[in-house]
Amino acid sequence: MSARIVMKLTVVEAVATTPEVLRLTLVHPQRPELPAWEPGAHVDLRLPDGRIRQYSLCGDPADRSRYVLAIKREDAGRGGSLWTHANLVAGAVAHVFHPRNNFGLAIGARRHVLIGGGIGVTPLAAMARRLTASGADFTLHLCARSAEQAPLLSELRTLCGDRMRCWFSSDGGRFDPTSLGAPGAGIHAYACGPQRLTDAVQAALTAAGWPAERVHVEHFAPMADETYKPEPFDALIASTGAVIHVPADASLLEVLRQHGFAMPSSCEIGVCGSCECGYRDGTVIHRDVVLPVAKRQDRMMPCVSRARVKVTLAL
Amino acid sequence: MSAPSAPRHVEAFAHAAGSVAVAVPGGATGWRGALLTIHIASAASYEMEELAEAHCVAGRGIEGDRYFLGTGTYSPKPDTREVTLIEQEALDALARNDPPLQGGPIQLAPVDHRRNLTVRGVPLNHLVGRRFRVGEVILRGGRLNFPCKYLEELLGQPVYLPLYNRSGLNCGIERGGIIRPGDAIALVD
Repeated sequence: MSARIVMKLTVVEAVATTPEVLRLTLVHPQRPELPAWEPGAHVDLRLPDGRIRQYSLCGDPADRSRYVLAIKREDAGRGGSLWTHANLVAGAVAHVFHPRNNFGLAIGARRHVLIGGGIGVTPLAAMARRLTASGADFTLHLCARSAEQAPLLSELRTLCGDRMRCWFSSDGGRFDPTSLGAPGAGIHAYACGPQRLTDAVQAALTAAGWPAERVHVEHFAPMADETYKPEPFDALIASTGAVIHVPADASLLEVLRQHGFAMPSSCEIGVCGSCECGYRDGTVIHRDVVLPVAKRQDRMMPCVSRARVKVTLAL
Repeated sequence: MSAPSAPRHVEAFAHAAGSVAVAVPGGATGWRGALLTIHIASAASYEMEELAEAHCVAGRGIEGDRYFLGTGTYSPKPDTREVTLIEQEALDALARNDPPLQGGPIQLAPVDHRRNLTVRGVPLNHLVGRRFRVGEVILRGGRLNFPCKYLEELLGQPVYLPLYNRSGLNCGIERGGIIRPGDAIALVD
């Protein structure tokens, strides 16, 4: 994650939009306006034990006075949504980071197809509000087990009218992504929901000749939790071929120094950016708060960031 | 929020910078300034909150602040951070794009810069190794503050270079007490 300010927001309304989905309205206790955001954005919610969970903003991006989130209770999940449902009642305080967006509307698109599965409809709800306000051409496909289990259904019906198609499996309805056919001029598709849905949309549209840059899928990247448990891994030094083992209880920076690398550093807690280093292949677990997302594919901060199993360092 | 645990601070005049400056006579004298605003945050990255009065605790920090609680971004690394100050004059200069480093003015409000005290008429860069009074509290200038990339990332504004050499002062608290906006600030010795 990159560094974001955390706000202590007040829950002014908590209502069930389905039996499993809680719709929360949050305001700032002092400021009349919250930070601006674009449709598709999400916020990170910080739980009291330091865990962080990501939820899309599903309200109206034109309304700066409040954030609206819809959170599904995952009884078999890791406990974040259960805590939220039990504790974020009207009057409670929610610790919310400034919004981020990895799933924005395409600029200059002429037509938008929004495909949401279950709780995945939340970022698309904000998109539909913006597209309605700007008079843009769009269709929202809402997939759910039943009308009763479709989050935000009544407000989306009012908003979208006949621009929304509902696909409820209880009625035998099933969205077929091949029905979208070949890509028309200026058309963009956006999918969010269970992976089997987003995978099916990507596969069908790729087969139908849609360019990858016109198919947008929301992925929630893992975040640096305070409950993170480091694992050992190996670092391969690209220039020499040497392999250096990094045990679970040592940082990559420490181990590189033990092996004679004169690495600059300052904070050694992932915030100052001094020890930045390049890498080639391997899955890096970025745990710093300073490196911009755009640089994370080939740069890392060895004071706090680690790798899964193995990484090749550009040293 | 984690329970308050005494954070490790480097005593201001024991800091590498303060320990040298304290033995060097001279510097800026005859000035008189004022405390404009007080801000604290309960933990790293949390929004700063404005206070109408604050309780300064010697050797520790401002009650409720992250560097009092040991929950700050830099708390794991012992340093002089009991209280941090910045000059309103530096913020005014950023707002008029002076010098023109980033191609435009930068509005850095007291709630955003993440230093505790915003002051006017106080030559902070000359107060390393000096004792000065803020209302009833006595502070010790330990080292110059230095801008960090973390703030730039947090704010999404290019403030790192414009804050160079006017990023403020990190202090220790010699005598604790209550401070309020409007308190006079003056040299003790």
